[in-house]
Amino acid sequence: MFMNTDISREDVSLLQMSDSFFPTGLYATSSGLEALLQIKRLKNKDISNLIAIYLQQVVGPSDCTALGNAYESCRKGDLDALLNTDESLYFMRIIEETRNASVRSGNQLLKCVSSFVKNKKMLKDYQNAISSGNATGVYPVSFGVVTWSLDIPKKRAGLILLYGFTVSVIGAALRLGIVQHFDGQQIIHELRLVMLESVLKNIDRSISSMWQFAPELDILQMKHEMMSSKMFIT
Amino acid sequence: MSSKRIPRVGIGGPVGSGKTMLIEQIVPTLFTKGYKVGIVSNDVVSKEDAERMRRNLATEKGLMPEELVIGVATGGCPHTAVREDPSINLSVVEEMELKYDYLDLILIESGGDNITTTFSPALADYFIYIIDVTGGDKYPRKRGLGIENCDLLVINKIDIAPYIGADLKVMERDAKIVRSNKPTVFVNSKTGQGVDAVVSSIIRDVLFEASPKTLVKN
Repeated sequence: MFMNTDISREDVSLLQMSDSFFPTGLYATSSGLEALLQIKRLKNKDISNLIAIYLQQVVGPSDCTALGNAYESCRKGDLDALLNTDESLYFMRIIEETRNASVRSGNQLLKCVSSFVKNKKMLKDYQNAISSGNATGVYPVSFGVVTWSLDIPKKRAGLILLYGFTVSVIGAALRLGIVQHFDGQQIIHELRLVMLESVLKNIDRSISSMWQFAPELDILQMKHEMMSSKMFIT
Repeated sequence: MSSKRIPRVGIGGPVGSGKTMLIEQIVPTLFTKGYKVGIVSNDVVSKEDAERMRRNLATEKGLMPEELVIGVATGGCPHTAVREDPSINLSVVEEMELKYDYLDLILIESGGDNITTTFSPALADYFIYIIDVTGGDKYPRKRGLGIENCDLLVINKIDIAPYIGADLKVMERDAKIVRSNKPTVFVNSKTGQGVDAVVSSIIRDVLFEASPKTLVKN
């Protein structure tokens, strides 16, 4: 009955998956921001630049690429390719803290969505592969599987992933007292083009050319692992 | 590699109410009865509680392997981590269930929070809320989701009640009213006074008087 309207069930699913209310544990991650704050006084512009670097150098070329490949594997029903993407991304996560957080969030995301999506074989097969130790459930790959399961278009799925990352870092910045609530919204507004470009550049990238390069951010994350007093998981 | 759910008790309460110290009393008492326990400790800012319990219960007393005390950071949102979005806690608990299936019980300590803390039933099967007398004897009648909804209300630091003019009888009376006669236990977590009643409640209402798994196997 909704066939001729310009809004659809998939649009509602899109809103559901992009809502910070959706339970994935991402609110407890700062992506190194907490460690950076300890060694440097930060301003709004620093937060914007930090997120832009993450999007262009890490989340875009690795996470978004993994999501795109996972999505395509589901569309083709190719479980081997899906597991290859899972493995490739898992081993690209060189910081233990971020690797564990990603796996935990991904697994809970799959569990949550599979509680209301029952008819997607690839979703079930991927969860079975995780249960049998043949996959990890790393978050961007899980995100690709669930957005495909919910019939959310691939590029929009990529956009939600990048938007969700951006919001999680800004949420951490707010709680750490680095930015105020209006500043956070302004940063999201400023980063719209960076998010869009990052999706378009990376969503169709092959898994063999997936990359990430942000050594200073990696070192920052390593510093966070060693912090004795912290609010955030990463 | 699916795991069997191990009974889980959530322990919440305000900062400084004695959640960690209560656990440090509960675990040895359960241990002497043969029950094996794992601990997940949510901290608001530091890893201090998890590190203290690891040192006291695992390293020094040898009541559990050190890796069975796991600290979880909550992003500054302790109630979110155990209620609205318990994803990370669920993951940690499920990993524990998978690796240590011999455990009889998992204790999940919330980060110190306000009186609205409750646990998601998906995370904890039984919810203990702990307050102390230093807030005055009006504390229970001021209500709050934690005080009203928990399965067991624990009122701690009863030894200092006379010094601050807190009447335990008033607290008991008010707790009965706001909690519709659900149980309340008075303890001094520093000496262990009253802790047996907490442990008995756990064995009766959470473990359903089951014998410790390791004893059954042997």
